[in-house]
Amino acid sequence: MELRPAEVTSILEKEIEKYKGETSMQSIGTVLSVGDGVARVYGLDDCVMNELLEFPNGVRGVALNLEEDNVGCVLLGDATKVKEGDTVRSTGRVISVPTGDKLLGRVVNGLGDPIDGKGTLGTTESDLRPIESPAPSVVEREPVKEPLQTGIKAIDAMIPIGRGQRELIIGDRQTGKTALCIDTIINQKTTAGGDPKDPEQVICIYVAVGQKQSTIVDVQRRLEKAGAMPYTIIVAASANDEASLQYLACYAGVAMGERFRDEGRHVVIFYDDLYKQALAYRQVMLLLRRPPGREAFPGDVFNLHSRLLERAAKISRDAPKINPRYKKGGGSITALPIVETQEGDVAAYIPTNVISITDGQIFLESALFNAGIRPAVNAGISVSRVGGSAQISAMKKIAGGLRLGLASYRALAAFAQFGSDLDKATQQELTRGERLTEILKQGQYVPMPVEQQILIIYVANAGRLDDVPARRVPEVEKAYLRAMGEQHPEVAEEIKKTKNVSDAGRAAMDKVIAAVKIQLNTTPSKTAAKA
Amino acid sequence: MIVDAVTARWAGALYGLAAKQGVLSTVVADVERLGVEFARPEVRRVLQNPRIDAATRRGAVAACLRGAHVLTQNFVGLALDRGREEVLVGLSAAFRRRILLDAGQVEGFVETARPIDPADLARVASDFGRLLGQKLILKNRVVPELIGGARVIAGNRMLDGSVSGRLEGLRRRLQEVQLPG
Ligand SMILES: Nc1ncnc2c1ncn2[C@@H]1O[C@H](COP(=O)(O)OP(=O)(O)OP(=O)(O)O)[C@@H](O)[C@H]1O
Ligand SMILES: [Mg+2]
Repeated sequence: MELRPAEVTSILEKEIEKYKGETSMQSIGTVLSVGDGVARVYGLDDCVMNELLEFPNGVRGVALNLEEDNVGCVLLGDATKVKEGDTVRSTGRVISVPTGDKLLGRVVNGLGDPIDGKGTLGTTESDLRPIESPAPSVVEREPVKEPLQTGIKAIDAMIPIGRGQRELIIGDRQTGKTALCIDTIINQKTTAGGDPKDPEQVICIYVAVGQKQSTIVDVQRRLEKAGAMPYTIIVAASANDEASLQYLACYAGVAMGERFRDEGRHVVIFYDDLYKQALAYRQVMLLLRRPPGREAFPGDVFNLHSRLLERAAKISRDAPKINPRYKKGGGSITALPIVETQEGDVAAYIPTNVISITDGQIFLESALFNAGIRPAVNAGISVSRVGGSAQISAMKKIAGGLRLGLASYRALAAFAQFGSDLDKATQQELTRGERLTEILKQGQYVPMPVEQQILIIYVANAGRLDDVPARRVPEVEKAYLRAMGEQHPEVAEEIKKTKNVSDAGRAAMDKVIAAVKIQLNTTPSKTAAKA
Repeated sequence: MIVDAVTARWAGALYGLAAKQGVLSTVVADVERLGVEFARPEVRRVLQNPRIDAATRRGAVAACLRGAHVLTQNFVGLALDRGREEVLVGLSAAFRRRILLDAGQVEGFVETARPIDPADLARVASDFGRLLGQKLILKNRVVPELIGGARVIAGNRMLDGSVSGRLEGLRRRLQEVQLPG
């Protein structure tokens, strides 16, 4: 950071001049005990929940347990500097974080302090927002109806996500959960070219909870390389941060998102992941001696997640008339929480909680992932309760029935391994399913615009690829999309503009795929003849 | 002195009962005397050592209880039976606070860098007391680190008008101010 001495001095002069040092009445307390990052404080009569407390030596804390004669709080700094008998002051402020445009492109911790070495944020006191705030009420909301394109074929075609929706991404470790987030962030560039000033640009907030520092750095570098950082905020509470910061980071992230939402912008927020957040919360609450419940989680762990996810919403156009908090209506926060499961056990406590709160879930399966089907989406048990209303009509028409078809193919394929005498219809279904599976495979960092997705899903779903050997499908897909771009760019343009495919468009696609197949010489009879 | 919730509850029960039976002044006198007795190291050692059995403990306390009102006697006996020795240790402090509370009074300190004269002390007590809506009983405490000004602490409230407090406030303000760049 560049420091300009003159400016600094002048600022200090101004501050000193107008500093009144008003002597207001403060509530004070005495530290009774301190250890494991939590302190019990005697006194602090009118302390409120989540109030920021000041300990000696610049250490801050948050009040979390208000009891008859003492306050339990977590320390947000070096706990070794606090000792028994120290005086604690209340601040009258609940814990707040900076918000606004200046955070875009930055990596901050759970308190909103920058940790990317790029200097201060330059936000002012008026940019501060409390991390806990009430979720929008029923009258301020409207149904989810605009799509949030992830750029991932398997999701946009089968499990569409709408703006304002909460869709859970759930799977064991190393099943590509984080990869889905990164690709979705990269794809938001298509909303307005990645210009954060453009009101159409979707803002992304990635909250990393309890992850390795190296993973966070990796995500940041990936996003930078893809040019996605200018419209993204990373809120990072890594595994070596205090547990309190780890669980608070999610609320800090959504508070930042609400600022944009209230200004009528669209935001998508990723919590990676809520299982680790629940673990951090459990740790803090056990240290504060809250009684443990199932799996030793405190009784309010459901509320921990529900009050967080309820803050995702689509705000109605008329909201500013109802509540002055909204500067402009029509904004949204889409929440994509991640939950890591252990050995695929989705019936464990935290997964069932979050499944019941969200509007659907995307299951990622280790078996599929290891079989090379990536993204490893299990189409059979993944759903989006918002469904087709979050899809453009072209996709709705073309990809209708895709999810169920694929699910029944996977079930059939499992049986088909045992016998060879299959009837024609079954064989046909297997062939189609195999081609569709190939089409829905997608590499990392290459999200696909929705109009391109429609072009390729149309030919696969209409059976035009049934005569192409499965292993040659990716090659045909590539050549086909290139040819469509060169010979019939108007089809993609039409989808983009009208959100529909005309009969002429379909004819063009049929024509091009036929030509590509001949050109690549993929029909089995010819291949067989050659061999 | 910190009075924990349990001690406050026990003391409150004795206080209320004594007031109802019209023997408050007798019990208050008892409690004050007991406070002095229980503060003696040899008594405290007996009360707080978990290895000393209940009978010995009761014997040690019996001497102090001679001549006390029957309510006080019962109270001490019950506390010992229930294993609440810490209530006895904190009893007189809790009682004092309760008496002050009933009279609408709070005890506190005025901290200054140099000793202040009684007239000033009384003025601070009445001014600050008005702010709190309670009658303040203040003592002066000399804390040279304050540099100048005064800091009033009453109960769990503090009004910091000291030079060091203002400097601390300015330091915090300067730390929070956003620099350009
Ligand atoms: N679509 C894909 N194609 C190829 N490789 C992928 C794909 N998605 C993810 N991977 C790879 O799989 C590995 C695991 O992915 P990722 O880190 O996203 O999984 P995760 O479920 O978030 O893991 P963790 O449990 O460690 O957080 C990474 O090495 C990633 O590069
Ligand atoms: Mg991950």
